Amino acid sequence: MNAEASLDLRHPVPLSIPVRTKKRYFIPPAVGMKSKMEENIEAKIRAAGVVVKQEYMERPINISCTAGVYDAYIPPEGDARLSTLSKEGLKQRTEQIRQSAASQLAIRKIKGHDSLFKTKEFAEQAQEIFIEAHNALTQFNKAKLHSLVTERCYPEMTRGNRYKTIHWRFIESLEPPKVVQARCPDMVSKDNLYGQVTVRMHSKQTLAIYDRFGRLMLGCEEHPKDVLEYLVFERHLVNPYGCWRLHGKIVPSWAPAKDPVIKTVMIPGPKLRPEDELDAVNLQVPKPAAVQWYK
Amino acid sequence: MATAAMTVRGVAFIRNMSASFHCRFQALIGRCPQQLSCLHTSALLESKTWERRNLKVFPPQKPDEALRPAEIHLSRRQIKYSKDKMWYLAKMIRGLSIDQAVAQLEFNDKKGAKIMKEVLLEAQDKAVKHHHVEFKSNLYVAESFSGKGRYLKRLRYHGRGMCGVMDKVYCHYFVKLVEGPPPRTEERTGLDEARDYVQKLRDRTIIHSL
Repeated sequence: MNAEASLDLRHPVPLSIPVRTKKRYFIPPAVGMKSKMEENIEAKIRAAGVVVKQEYMERPINISCTAGVYDAYIPPEGDARLSTLSKEGLKQRTEQIRQSAASQLAIRKIKGHDSLFKTKEFAEQAQEIFIEAHNALTQFNKAKLHSLVTERCYPEMTRGNRYKTIHWRFIESLEPPKVVQARCPDMVSKDNLYGQVTVRMHSKQTLAIYDRFGRLMLGCEEHPKDVLEYLVFERHLVNPYGCWRLHGKIVPSWAPAKDPVIKTVMIPGPKLRPEDELDAVNLQVPKPAAVQWYK
Repeated sequence: MATAAMTVRGVAFIRNMSASFHCRFQALIGRCPQQLSCLHTSALLESKTWERRNLKVFPPQKPDEALRPAEIHLSRRQIKYSKDKMWYLAKMIRGLSIDQAVAQLEFNDKKGAKIMKEVLLEAQDKAVKHHHVEFKSNLYVAESFSGKGRYLKRLRYHGRGMCGVMDKVYCHYFVKLVEGPPPRTEERTGLDEARDYVQKLRDRTIIHSL
């Protein structure tokens, strides 16, 4: 371009000869980079033809399970603790699910969506699901666990267990499992029904948890324990491919305290001012309130 | 800018560096790794082997076996300090119990001592919370060393229009805490050494003798 313009006779442009263009000094690229960095990077990416994926600032919501246990079952106090001869024991023996109207209504709704639902069969099924889920937890089979346990229950079961070894065994069932409550909550719209069924299970289980280094953290391998549990199973009724999965557990307020961990744990003491001294004689460790909670 | 004369050695060094900078700049733009032609882009910071040692799970021990002591690996990367200066502090705390190590670092005047103390306290905290260590004082420093981090290069201006390349040094610091009392090294006295020497002399045999 410059050569043609300079050879032109009518409008000559002086020929520009490059002089001293060889780079003889060195500047590390970072020196001038501070001013250049901000504007040019996006243009360079587009020029290079690299397509960056759109990042959506959204929080994912899971609609295949509800967020909790709606209208939780309150287990009667002294369940499986009183002898058969006392009056309360007899009352509990005769108490059946037919007494609760809301549960009956819920079961009718469930049968409307799933015609093969039967309370007695469901209780057996529920126990099988429970055993399989816990076996999958010991092997840490994520895919199988997701199919047997809802998305709400999965993090509660697996939190902190990634680098631990769990040995769990289901020895036998002391009483046949029983459906004690059913509810049909809905989410967002009235037709979006989920079925939640509470099953009472009394069984013998062994649990031993080992930490990362193979040392026993909790429980015992040899001695089985009698466990009374209230498990909540859920299913998305409207979904034709939905299946009953473990959703949570109800721990009654009168449940006995769990075994302590095989480790000394520090409990933070009362906050003292610099001039005070700790009153060790009258010190009382605050005990948590006995409230029913569902996990 | 005035023409600056450089030595031959400097020019060769600069040529190597500009090639590696070109690679790094392309990585900065955000090209996918398969498109990069040169293989020598830094893969050192992506491979965090020291932290991966924390993820190893040991099989459960039988009740009659001796308890395996808990090990906690922790590192801090790209500390703005020299690796050689950090080495002195790392060597100082090797083999000490954690309380002693923290005490020594607290009253040390070096810049690296403050950072190392933070790292040790963080490691102690993690040991108690995540790695099932019972007593937080029952730990000792099994391994502690420093390594070279990724340096930044800058120009250093000399007289007569000459310049050199200045390294802005960074270092990594690695520490491994093990549960238990610190191991006691047996102190050898002069008498022990003498006894061993005499025993060696007595153990000599004459080969091919009758």
